[in-house]
Amino acid sequence: MTTRSERLLQLALALLVVLIVLAPLALMVATSLKGDEGRILLDIGSLAAFWVSPGEASLTNYVQVLSSATQPFLRFLFNSVFVVGWIVGVGIFVNSAAAFALSRMRFRGRNLILAVVVALIIIPMEALAIPLLLMVNRVGWLDSYQAQIVPFIAHPFSIFLFYQFFAKLPKDIDEAAYVEGASPFQVYWKIALPLSGPVIATVAILQSLEYWNAYLWPLMVTRGPEVRPVSLALAQFFGTPPPTWGDLMAFSVMMSLPILILYLAFQRWFIQSVVASAVK
Amino acid sequence: MSRPRSRLHDQSRPALALMAPAGVLIVVFIIAPFLLSLVLSFTNQRLVPNPNLPTASVGVANYVRLLGSGEFWQAFRNTFTFALLTVPLQSALALGAAMLVNSRLPARNVFRGIFFLPTVLTMVVVVVIWSNLYQINGFFNAVVRTMTFGAHPGFDWLANPYLAMPSIVLVSMWQGFGFQMVIYLAGLQSINPELYEAARVDGATRWQEFWAVTMPGLRNTHIFVLVTTTILALKLFAQVDLLTKGGPLGSTQTVVRLIYETGFRKGQVGMAAALSVIFFLVVLAISVGQRVFLKEDREVA
Amino acid sequence: MASLSIERLKKSYGAVEIIKGVDLSIADGEFVVFVGPSGCGKSTLLRMIAGLEEITSGELKIDGAVVNDLAPKERGIAMVFQSYALYPHKTVYDNMAFGLQIAGTDKAEIDAKVRNAARILKMEHLLDRRPNQLSGGQRQRVAIGRAIVRNPKVFLFDEPLSNLDAALRVTMRAELAKLHRDLAATMIYVTHDQVEAMTLADTIVVLEGGNVRQAGSPLELYHLPRNLFVAGFIGSPKMNMLPATVSAVAPAGLTVSAPWLAPTVIPVNPGGVAVGATVTVGIRPEHIQAGEGAVSVTGTVGLVERLGHQTIVEIAVSGGGLTALIDGETMTSPGETLTVGFHPKDAHVFDAAGEALTRLVVPEIAKVRKQRPAA
Repeated sequence: MTTRSERLLQLALALLVVLIVLAPLALMVATSLKGDEGRILLDIGSLAAFWVSPGEASLTNYVQVLSSATQPFLRFLFNSVFVVGWIVGVGIFVNSAAAFALSRMRFRGRNLILAVVVALIIIPMEALAIPLLLMVNRVGWLDSYQAQIVPFIAHPFSIFLFYQFFAKLPKDIDEAAYVEGASPFQVYWKIALPLSGPVIATVAILQSLEYWNAYLWPLMVTRGPEVRPVSLALAQFFGTPPPTWGDLMAFSVMMSLPILILYLAFQRWFIQSVVASAVK
Repeated sequence: MSRPRSRLHDQSRPALALMAPAGVLIVVFIIAPFLLSLVLSFTNQRLVPNPNLPTASVGVANYVRLLGSGEFWQAFRNTFTFALLTVPLQSALALGAAMLVNSRLPARNVFRGIFFLPTVLTMVVVVVIWSNLYQINGFFNAVVRTMTFGAHPGFDWLANPYLAMPSIVLVSMWQGFGFQMVIYLAGLQSINPELYEAARVDGATRWQEFWAVTMPGLRNTHIFVLVTTTILALKLFAQVDLLTKGGPLGSTQTVVRLIYETGFRKGQVGMAAALSVIFFLVVLAISVGQRVFLKEDREVA
Repeated sequence: MASLSIERLKKSYGAVEIIKGVDLSIADGEFVVFVGPSGCGKSTLLRMIAGLEEITSGELKIDGAVVNDLAPKERGIAMVFQSYALYPHKTVYDNMAFGLQIAGTDKAEIDAKVRNAARILKMEHLLDRRPNQLSGGQRQRVAIGRAIVRNPKVFLFDEPLSNLDAALRVTMRAELAKLHRDLAATMIYVTHDQVEAMTLADTIVVLEGGNVRQAGSPLELYHLPRNLFVAGFIGSPKMNMLPATVSAVAPAGLTVSAPWLAPTVIPVNPGGVAVGATVTVGIRPEHIQAGEGAVSVTGTVGLVERLGHQTIVEIAVSGGGLTALIDGETMTSPGETLTVGFHPKDAHVFDAAGEALTRLVVPEIAKVRKQRPAA
């Protein structure tokens, strides 16, 4: 059994890690709420940087970011949501349909196709970026939503996750449906897909995080603010010296809020998704 | 008396229809670019075609030039340095955090939730926050000054060729350790608790218990964490591009950033393709290594 | 309602033959049970009838039409699976309605059929539940209900009771028998449980190694097993089978003797068996009584299992062992010497190939079929 001193040590260590994790976030929030940039620069090298007294807190920075004509924050946010929404939304159907065929149907060459899909998982996007850029360039997709969406809908790893899930469903269920007159499409649509809630959640979370965080690809294929995702917009804002910390932090807080709210609401699912991605 | 193959059990047509959307997209956007990068790596293809210089085959010239270029080796060295620093440190931190969360800590789900939180933050946001801490007049230098009673003025963390990479390692660890922690946690929970009880009955100390039960029980988890973290580390790009632009003096230039600069900034697609091929082969070797290790383990078990 | 005919049906996976040429004809409204040990091919045969397994060769006819190449849905069958195979995300109502919805049946008709099936199975109050809110027996009912609403020509059951506990099995067995009476539909039922087979079937088909070893009414199989396999498979405890030598052959029967058995005339048609041949004598444990009988055997008591109303005794006799199912009140214990007796007319004789010699004295009961209420 754990001794008292051991438990105190564990608690102390855990609190230390909490401090390390939360302090930078406190810095972000505190700085974003300090309306006076001079005050921020004054606080920057001290513990005061991590704190804002409630009396001094102001939303000036947020108002500035939201009202900026050159940095249309809401447009950027919409772009990111739009791109991720399409990738994930369409991807769920496209990837699960392929996985259904690979796991539940009989046809020649099935194992070969499955092996190819699994092999494709290890190709990193970074190794494909340049030829893909050339292709997208040729078809005139630069600076478009489709350049950010279409190439990423089919996702071998998502297919694999769906495959694993479908392969574990009892075979009797499909057979019962076939006996009742269902076609393969109906079995996929009315039986398999409605049962795959847990994988859909896993795939949606993993793909959302992946493309919400995308940096390299949007950096190459977006030019203006019309289709630029929010993370890249922050990166370019950050890359324009001198840094206006209040605005940067307000921007950061606002773009992190949607994800943080989702995370707090579905924490268990987020963590289970990561675990599911590791069980290969 | 073989009868014609029954149409009953051959589901090729519906299967093909269900696989078609994913199949077309995969062929066009994964397999084609993959083959294209192989082909392009033997040409002098440029991003914006120059009418006076049509694309031509250059044989293995791109590879030869890469292998002879200091920039190339530096990028690989930096990337591997990053991996060599990040992988053990981050894994150890993650394992420690996982063990804390797996213990009888009060409110351990809250701790787990907090530890995992940075992984859902976008790297750009993380970089913005940490670059504030790394400012010359920032918090870290304030700590350095306090610890040395003002004797040391502090560092220009990101402009110092010796400190830039470790600074990037720190940012990456902070952002990423929650991922490995969750995987270690799953690994720890799959260890049979009776093994711990048996060790305790045998009089093992905590330390002995860790080495005799925990570490062997995590063998597959270690391999998985090691390989995925290494591959993630090899893909290092955003932090570097945002914090140091590969500098100072190329001390934080990475392979992916070199691909990006060569292919996108300089428009040398052929060269960038050759780099991509080499990068892919390295990732492939590591993945295959993982398979071999896992397989060996299964044979032993 | 339909009749079924199976001709030289074969199924092989590569070089391995699973079903080795089965001939069978099933009358309209008949309740047929396939029994046999695991791996005998009974489930495969059922799945071939369902259309879930391809037929390698031979013909399967439903109502005279060859259906080999028809999809399951085109065969007019319904199937109840061992695992019930209910759709976990659908309510009981939707589970039963699914097949009809697929077929594009009109809503009101679906509703009427589902409610009718629910009424037959007494589960009107469960229609809004999901499978995980049901007990095993209730799930079983839903699976049956799903079959009923489709009004199939043939019902197929694949070990439907094997996931239920013993008490529930007895109840469901009775309900299935009643369902068959009420619907008067053709039903084919696979089980490894001979009690289910005996109680439910009009015809039992005993399979072994992909071959039909015998098909007949339950009591026919019990009293007139055609070979050693069927003799051993039907009946519990198992029929005793001991070697004996033929010492005389006459039209009235075969005289056999063995170390444990004084020369005895068993009333069977000798067929081609000659004097001096070795045969197997079979006698069911329940046909052996304690004490002297028409034929008496003495031996040493081994295991004694007291069931209360009866006692199972294993007796070591010279040349083998006998199991006897004697009354529950005989005082006997291991190590004692016990004399038991049986009547030669109850004995069976099998030739060297394991085929039964025709019994000359057939109990009247062996001709009884399942009783149906007068129409």
